[in-house]
Amino acid sequence: MASVRSVSPGGALLRASRLFSLPQPIPPPPGNQANSGSNHNSDSATLAFPTHQVITTMSSSRKRGDWGLKRPLPLKSTTKSTNAMLRIRQIDSIEQVTDYSSGADHGLSLRKFQELNIPVTVPPAAVDSYSIRPASRMNLPQRSAFEEDGDFTAIDPQKAAAMQDKRWKFTGPWLAGMTQGAFNKWVAKNVKPRRPEFLQFLKNKIAQENLQTALLKAQENGETLPTTADPASVTDEQLTDYLRKLRNDNQQLYELVGQFLDLAPLNPPTSDALAQLNPTTHVTLTQSGSPYAERGPPITHPSAGLSYLKTSMYLDNHPLYGPQRSHPPVQARVMNPRRSTINVQARIGLAGFVTDSPYGDTASNSRGQGSRALDKFDPELVGGAKIWVQPHSASVDARGRIKLNVGDAKEEDRLVALELLGEEKIFGELKKVEAKPSAAADLRNTYRSNGAYKSTRMSSSDGYGVGTLQFRYRPSQPQ
Amino acid sequence: MSSRQWLTSALRQIPSRAGLSQQLQQQPCTAKHLSTSAPAAALKHFPSSPRSSTANPGAQLSSLLEDDDSATPSPATQLSSTAALQNIYNQSSNQWGRGGTRTTNQRFSATDLRQSEQTKAYMDQMPRRWQAGDLYAPRDLSPAEMRKWHRRQKPKGDIIDVLGVSPLDNYRNFSLIADFITPFGRIKHSSDTGLRPVNQRKIAKTVRRAIGLGIHPSVHKHPELLVRASRNLPQANIAKKTDSPRSILG
Repeated sequence: MASVRSVSPGGALLRASRLFSLPQPIPPPPGNQANSGSNHNSDSATLAFPTHQVITTMSSSRKRGDWGLKRPLPLKSTTKSTNAMLRIRQIDSIEQVTDYSSGADHGLSLRKFQELNIPVTVPPAAVDSYSIRPASRMNLPQRSAFEEDGDFTAIDPQKAAAMQDKRWKFTGPWLAGMTQGAFNKWVAKNVKPRRPEFLQFLKNKIAQENLQTALLKAQENGETLPTTADPASVTDEQLTDYLRKLRNDNQQLYELVGQFLDLAPLNPPTSDALAQLNPTTHVTLTQSGSPYAERGPPITHPSAGLSYLKTSMYLDNHPLYGPQRSHPPVQARVMNPRRSTINVQARIGLAGFVTDSPYGDTASNSRGQGSRALDKFDPELVGGAKIWVQPHSASVDARGRIKLNVGDAKEEDRLVALELLGEEKIFGELKKVEAKPSAAADLRNTYRSNGAYKSTRMSSSDGYGVGTLQFRYRPSQPQ
Repeated sequence: MSSRQWLTSALRQIPSRAGLSQQLQQQPCTAKHLSTSAPAAALKHFPSSPRSSTANPGAQLSSLLEDDDSATPSPATQLSSTAALQNIYNQSSNQWGRGGTRTTNQRFSATDLRQSEQTKAYMDQMPRRWQAGDLYAPRDLSPAEMRKWHRRQKPKGDIIDVLGVSPLDNYRNFSLIADFITPFGRIKHSSDTGLRPVNQRKIAKTVRRAIGLGIHPSVHKHPELLVRASRNLPQANIAKKTDSPRSILG
């Protein structure tokens, strides 16, 4: 171990230098493997999450090209940017140069995300961008990624099986997310060599079961209680019998194999649960197992370290109007309008993150003026079409991508936000608040929300006592 | 009796409209497309025949006419068959543009159409299909970046390894074969398919086997795929559970 060995003065100097604070790059986001036959792609597009550490330096040091690296970096390409952010690919390449590029894309995205002031939740049930996606859009109560009962980073291996439905990290794969080829490879490489180990694991199980029956028997007969289970005493015959029993009990077999290989939990997605929703249908919220069973466990901590807010239940204070009911709305860029003929959904970009336009019975979904920016592309708009939205929460999916949950912004909130920017004056002018914008350009640029506004309840006192980890829609027939 | 049968039998009851009924019978689809209303509602404009009794459907027609709006001609007015058809057409085009007069609707839809065309033209310049969860910086919206999304990149991974299928067992899978041959029926090079040498050889053998057996054309994709494409059907059949080997044996 390096920590035990005494470190030489040169080594100590290196360890204290910034050179060693650069972590190893992480693997890039997994692409869609099934699409690898025909992919339209760009190798220089911004990745969904950063793979390299972004480093910065003081402006005085930047002027000298000093980034704390082996050699000063060229001033011409590093001093022009407003934001001193660099990504170091290689400290010393074979051509004896430092390989660097701008890191402003991810660095600024993080800053912008933190300005949104939204908490990160565990992924809501069944987020599917092409099916009827109810749960995440219906403003159901959601759980923060930092709730104590689900936020494990260090797990006792003895308790790992018991915490199956709560933890997010598994050493085994999530079977539903594997392709057939990857599965075959994994079985041949990682599972088959462990056969003797699995038999030993089963022997331990049998010994435990034997101990339980012996304990019961001893209690009934008033004898001294046996203390330890002895796997060595399990005969091969007993093991064969147990294996035969297991073959007829798929559930038990899956549980044992899952425990042994530490497989991530599986659940079929609850995608179109709300499809049959009508006035006579009941919807009951029931507890489901792991929140990661439907879409796979995340590759990072479920918060991805983006935000450490546990809840969005805090009040924003306005210097003139006092505490506000809702958080300040945010302007979102319309990345592409919806095009129903080729089944393209409208997407909006918020703080650099692309997300779906607000769902449900909202102004942006009603046919008419409210949704013009999402329906048509207007080349005359300087800077592109933008709409005001209210970000509620974010979640990290199984591929490490950030999914924002947004709703329509209230018109009053929009005006207040504009006044803070100095683009609108409404203080003391009540009529303006009540007036509706009528010019077409206004409507294309911004829209009014006439629908009901709801904020997502999250980790509030309402949620306590319910004892649920994750809500799921289960439509049931009326009694 | 379906509504269309009822309609034609009703028209036969009216002797003076015999020619019209024939016309309608010949082109039932046109009338159906033009009108969004039920055939019975479209018939409201026909003056009832004086010969019609209470028992026959002509009487039902006349009763329908009584609660009609003022825009329709009065039942007493005798119209020629051409004028009657014109009426049907007028009414259906009125129903087409709901609310407002016809001219404003026309103007509105023309603007709408122009904006849709414009949207399409501009969106074609932005080939990237944004997905929820994508991250973008200003550079990602630049023309240089968008040009890259236009081009089709060569596959990087080995799709056969990813899918874990055996190519040689798939010599009857025409949609699989179609992916590995050029439009002129030649086997694609491994630099285009992205397969590793072992799988490239297997795929080449699969294609040769299918052509050699005479079940696949050597000059283009299988015609079954072309038919499917023209009918907007998926390229491959989804296996049915009923096709079990037992049923073939027994």
